Amino acid sequence: MTRAGLLAGAALLSALAMPAHAQGAAAGDVRLAPFEQYRLPNGTVLVLMEKRDTPLVSMRALLRGGSIGDPAGKEGSATLLADLLQKGAGARNAVAFAEAIENVGGELAASAQTESIAVGASFLARDVDLMVELVADALMRPQFDSQEFAKARTLAIQSIAAAKDADPRDLMDIYGDAWLFRGHPYGRPTEGSEKSLQAISLEDLKTYYEAQLGGDRLIVTVVGDIRAADMKQRLETAFSGWRKAGVAAPVVSAMPRVQGRRVLLVDKPGATQTYFWLGNVGADRTDPARGAQSVVNTVFGGRFTSMLNTALRIESGLTYGASSGFARLSEPGAFQIDSYTQTEKTREAVDLALATLDRLHAEGISAEAIASARNYLLGQFPTSIETNGQLANRLADIVFFGLARSDVDEYADRVRAVDMAAVKATIVRDVPTSGDLVMVVIGDAAEIRDAVRKYGPVTEMKITDPTFAPSAAN
Amino acid sequence: MARQSLAAAWCAAALAALLALAGVDAGAASTAPAEAAKIESRTLANGLEIVVWPDHDIPNVAMYVWFRVGSRNEYPGITGISHFFEHMMFNGTKTRRPGEFDRIMEGSGGRNNAYTSSDVTVYQDWFPRSALEVVFDLEADRMRNLDFDPKAVESERGVVYSERRSSVDNDNFGVLAEQMQATAYVAHPYQFPTLGWPSDIEGWTIEDLKTYYQRYYAPNNAVVFVVGDVTAPEVLALAEKYLAPIKRQPAPEPVKTREPPQLGERRLEVERDAQTPLIAMAWHAGSAPERQTRIMEVLLAVLGGGDSSRLHQKLVEQEQAALEVGVQLDQGFDPGLAWIFAVVPPGGDVARVEALIDAELARIARDGPTPAELAKARNQALAAFWRGLETISGKAQALGTYEVFHGDFRKLFDAPGEYESITVDEVRAAAASVLRRENRTVGTLVTPPADTAITPAPSEAKQ
Repeated sequence: MTRAGLLAGAALLSALAMPAHAQGAAAGDVRLAPFEQYRLPNGTVLVLMEKRDTPLVSMRALLRGGSIGDPAGKEGSATLLADLLQKGAGARNAVAFAEAIENVGGELAASAQTESIAVGASFLARDVDLMVELVADALMRPQFDSQEFAKARTLAIQSIAAAKDADPRDLMDIYGDAWLFRGHPYGRPTEGSEKSLQAISLEDLKTYYEAQLGGDRLIVTVVGDIRAADMKQRLETAFSGWRKAGVAAPVVSAMPRVQGRRVLLVDKPGATQTYFWLGNVGADRTDPARGAQSVVNTVFGGRFTSMLNTALRIESGLTYGASSGFARLSEPGAFQIDSYTQTEKTREAVDLALATLDRLHAEGISAEAIASARNYLLGQFPTSIETNGQLANRLADIVFFGLARSDVDEYADRVRAVDMAAVKATIVRDVPTSGDLVMVVIGDAAEIRDAVRKYGPVTEMKITDPTFAPSAAN
Repeated sequence: MARQSLAAAWCAAALAALLALAGVDAGAASTAPAEAAKIESRTLANGLEIVVWPDHDIPNVAMYVWFRVGSRNEYPGITGISHFFEHMMFNGTKTRRPGEFDRIMEGSGGRNNAYTSSDVTVYQDWFPRSALEVVFDLEADRMRNLDFDPKAVESERGVVYSERRSSVDNDNFGVLAEQMQATAYVAHPYQFPTLGWPSDIEGWTIEDLKTYYQRYYAPNNAVVFVVGDVTAPEVLALAEKYLAPIKRQPAPEPVKTREPPQLGERRLEVERDAQTPLIAMAWHAGSAPERQTRIMEVLLAVLGGGDSSRLHQKLVEQEQAALEVGVQLDQGFDPGLAWIFAVVPPGGDVARVEALIDAELARIARDGPTPAELAKARNQALAAFWRGLETISGKAQALGTYEVFHGDFRKLFDAPGEYESITVDEVRAAAASVLRRENRTVGTLVTPPADTAITPAPSEAKQ
């Protein structure tokens, strides 16, 4: 057992024992409570934080990999595997596993993201041994039952069909990323498509599991009503014996910005609204300019009074909401704008979104708006690290991206340091201009086909197509 | 008239009960029960009630302002006005132009939202403690000085229409639930969609809004909850300064209509383009504070709460007749609906899903839950109770729910014990008495036969 040692020095730890919100402290000046970090010989990283305001404990087991490791044509492998990890593990079959969680009021879910597979859990403190056992079983001893596999695959395919019948707002990012990052691993739909899921076999998942999951890829964080020393013992016992993954973790290279425009029109006959997504390659998770990027995004599309929401909702009533954001991954993800409006107003709304983007580039942001955005970010930040689950996720995220506690502790400093020069530089460097945008429009094609033609060359597909990208781009 | 802070005896009892339930030892224990002792409340001279729960975990505050008004207080012609009003509360006062509320709030580091249900309208502010007085000022201003700018009213109609199009018209579950609600109630205003019928969204006038404001947005019809990095004295002082001067209004007319007993099963079908058909069932059940409602929660949890529940196991895992099953219990001032719904796979058999659900309902009405299922439901309720108290916003919501619907925020801390006392026989009896065929509405959403042309919804044709 190698103890990697605390991330923070002793001096800092003692400072942290004082209330984070000492009188006179400015808004947003929060620091992470003390936590302990260890590295097991097999490479697994453990992070523990005691927090006793409720008798609850949250756990996150995060593995490097995710859908960027999905084989071509078998998109959704990581997600389907995550589903299957919960369908029988250790000595419990699928129903016994579900009962073990729910009998004690626990929550446990495995999922895949673009660059990771994660198991998250929340249990009452009295059931913490069971929680560790179930998470370890799911990761290290899945049963790979063939019937459960067949059911999980069918369910995954049918759930995509159901999502296409439901609110299209939930689909915009999937189509957007697929269209922006076509040919790049970030464009793979994490949940797969009806077509790609059909191509995945149980043998595929077993092969994937051996190659892509293992102790060297694992970060385990536990936050809540625990004694760190006890929990460390439990986690060591549970995870130190896990083998390494068969292959090295997948890495991706940054995708270059897209030049010019292209439009994907997704036909949803009978839709009374048009949903639109405009994006280009943005910024990564560890970008030193992330403070300035947050300020710019807050002003442009990151809060209720943002430029976009003011133009499309508050002043014109065209929509219920318009926003923008950076998707931050190891390499730059999308910077996106999205909104929706009634079918007849499609052009008016898209034009207004583009004009608002032009205004950001032409006029920049006032000093007053910068100050307001700083206050907003500082004022809201503490609510993102309030619960056991949020903290468990944040700690895992810090380790995953090779950051340190300064990612949280110096958040306020980073935001306060953002000045006019930094804002100007970020707008030019990180926010696409309206001439360089990849566009996805979901709506009734018969009604809006002509309207969207002016934005660039249009590729058309149906929402019922079994992929999230037109077949030529697949 | 000051309301007393919590009696010490009650606190000790609650603390002991909670610790026993949670099974935590006092040494390492959570401090929530001790925190509960810090909750203070006061009723101002104008009837406004304020509840303060100091919690210094993060340097932030959640302030929730509850008004006892929702679509339940509406009538034909003004349906949806409660929800529209919620939007108008951000659109200007006699002292602040439209949009200023949000600009000041966000510029001070705060964020806000609001929601409207059939029973209540709740305004939520989340902000750093440094903005406490600013937020009191903003909330008091719009409780007293709201103005109705004609331009803002018209623009906001478009926003609400967009909201309706998103959560109802372009969402199959939204459409089905709205039709079922309108069918299950023939007399009681729970039949109105909270977002309003489209023609009413187009129709309400500034006069309607003014009347509504005067009648319902009165201090004596509101409760304010402040949770977070504050002290009770500072909050109560701000309440006296900003909220106490607002004039009391005559108490709103109570909703007197009671839904008569349902005399037989009602069925409806919605025809929509859908790959995945839907089926839902809704039974008339109880109001929020009734013990029967806690029992119904347990009953629905046994039937559909989680992957190990009866309906999920039967329909999704064993028969693969549905891809998702869910349950929901409406809890308001008046008797609400208990729901079971299922998403049917493409090409699936809706009638078979109904038969499978019916068989499970008959079984639980006959045999009740097993003791193990009851224990599971209790544990789930206990864990949910604590998860609800993990955040300052969760605490503000929980206080509001118990104060407004159950009549006393202190009852929040009795909740785990209530679930503990529910018996197998009570759950069986609830299944038999509530989940009866003649007491339910069954709705399905299916694609019409291929030779039938789909006509646009009338609301959209009109625009």
